[in-house]
Amino acid sequence: MGDFAIETYGLEKIYRSRWRGREIRAVSNLSLRVPAGVKYGLLGANGAGKTTFVKMLLTAVHPTNGSAKLFGQDARQPEARRPIGYLPENHRFPTYLTGYGMLDFYGALSGMEARQRKKRIPEFLDLVGLKDWGDVRIKKYSKGMLQRLGLAQALLHRPKLLILDEPTDGVDPVGRRQIREVLDGLTEKGVTIFINSHLLSEVESFCEYVAILRNGQLAVEGKISNLLTGRGYRVTAAEVPPEALAEIRQSGASTLSTSEGVSIQVTTREEANSIIDRIRAAGGEIESVAASTSSLEDLFMQTAHPEKAA
Amino acid sequence: MKTLAALIGDTFQEARARWLFWGLFALSTLLILIFLFVLQIDLAAGAITFLGIEATSRRISSIQKFVNVSYSWVSIALYVWGTFLAVFASSGLIPSVLEAGRISLLLSKPLTRTSLLLGRYAGNLMVVALNHTYLVLSVWIILGLKTHIWAPRFLLAIPVSIFLFAVLLCVVVLVGVISESAALSVMAPIGLSLISVLLAQHQLVIRLLSSEWSRQLWMFFYWILPKVFDLGNAMRQTILFDRHATWIAPVGTSAAFGAIVLLGALRIFQKRDF
Repeated sequence: MGDFAIETYGLEKIYRSRWRGREIRAVSNLSLRVPAGVKYGLLGANGAGKTTFVKMLLTAVHPTNGSAKLFGQDARQPEARRPIGYLPENHRFPTYLTGYGMLDFYGALSGMEARQRKKRIPEFLDLVGLKDWGDVRIKKYSKGMLQRLGLAQALLHRPKLLILDEPTDGVDPVGRRQIREVLDGLTEKGVTIFINSHLLSEVESFCEYVAILRNGQLAVEGKISNLLTGRGYRVTAAEVPPEALAEIRQSGASTLSTSEGVSIQVTTREEANSIIDRIRAAGGEIESVAASTSSLEDLFMQTAHPEKAA
Repeated sequence: MKTLAALIGDTFQEARARWLFWGLFALSTLLILIFLFVLQIDLAAGAITFLGIEATSRRISSIQKFVNVSYSWVSIALYVWGTFLAVFASSGLIPSVLEAGRISLLLSKPLTRTSLLLGRYAGNLMVVALNHTYLVLSVWIILGLKTHIWAPRFLLAIPVSIFLFAVLLCVVVLVGVISESAALSVMAPIGLSLISVLLAQHQLVIRLLSSEWSRQLWMFFYWILPKVFDLGNAMRQTILFDRHATWIAPVGTSAAFGAIVLLGALRIFQKRDF
């Protein structure tokens, strides 16, 4: 097995309209390395290319250019997908199967022996809180139950890499905690977890690494602890003239447009006082001053929606 | 093999859950019951009545021959009934597996796209083969019990019907992979079958066509499309006369058509993004 669970080199996907000749570049020149055994979050606005990227890893979508490896093996080889567990977004599990039957079917496709499946399926149904639902047809399951069953399906063959596309979508808070506990248990066993999620707080609290896509390109990537600045102060102000704002930005403070005006993040108390003085001298109004730490949300807004960050 | 068995098993489960499996068997059972209770077949000292037609050794050279004629037409009826019913029943089984959210999960498993599609094809074919065997075998037993004449050649309707369905299923798969439409997956093979019956009348039509190119075009289509009519006719003649009919051309060209269409479907399936 390679040192990296996922490696992509210049991955690109261009969708071409057959008749109009129009091109949509969904993913562009994306090179990414996900170390084995880490918890990795993939973020991006709608249409940023996250799902296309995941589908290229799993060969549901063919890249226009570039290549991908899973644990050092060419992702196009079926064997490369053997150590992968996948929970797709908007999954459609066959509703004619029972929970047990569904796990049995996908377990068999993952290469598990009948004996292994018979032993593990009750264990995994129990793990995701569906012990009493194994014999019920999945058309009777709620969305949250389907999500948990999908997670059991992804875990059944004991994968080394788990790719989860919006894993807590439609799951209630109790179910979310249950999923979180299951995932925490996996990381202790060295399983790499790759999460594609819209829930920034979830990624921030769970993942060690993050990548943010913008317009199909990699905008930011790295360890979350390195990407987020430490403790500091947030100054929110209104009616700040553009010249004053440009001056503030030049001083190294990060700014973000909000409905109230502009939010300015600085690291020291002296910087905060200096910024307040400049704003007031330029005729701006201070709305609030608060001690804060920069969050993944700030980072996301700055990278995925730079037009909203002043 | 494990993967193939899982895919075949899944196709059976889906056919059962969608009531296709039970629908096919219910309609086949209905036909079997008609043979069992409604058809009047009486055999008495040198004479037989079948569908109300009375045959005696005076009108037909032998009772055996009369039974053969009856059997040959029953086999054609089963051939047409079974094949068309099977195409209707199978139309949705390919598009359903291509639904977004289902196909992406299947493709994430360590199996090739070829084995995924062929597994589905094989499962579908086995559902129909089981039904054809049940239908023809039951009718053969009923006719045998009623007439006390056992004609094993009648069972030829089983492999011939399954073969034709296997060829038409290739068209269902191709149309399903391209369009993901169950309705179109029915229309295409049924339409092809009707055209094929028309093209098989080439001996008559060629005399009526005025230009050489139109005659060649007719024969071109006749040779490339599956031989629904010719296969049925060869089966009927074999049952009727117990001698070799023309099998090589209809079987060979139909098999080649099916293989090319299935290869095309696999090629398109390989290249598609989901």
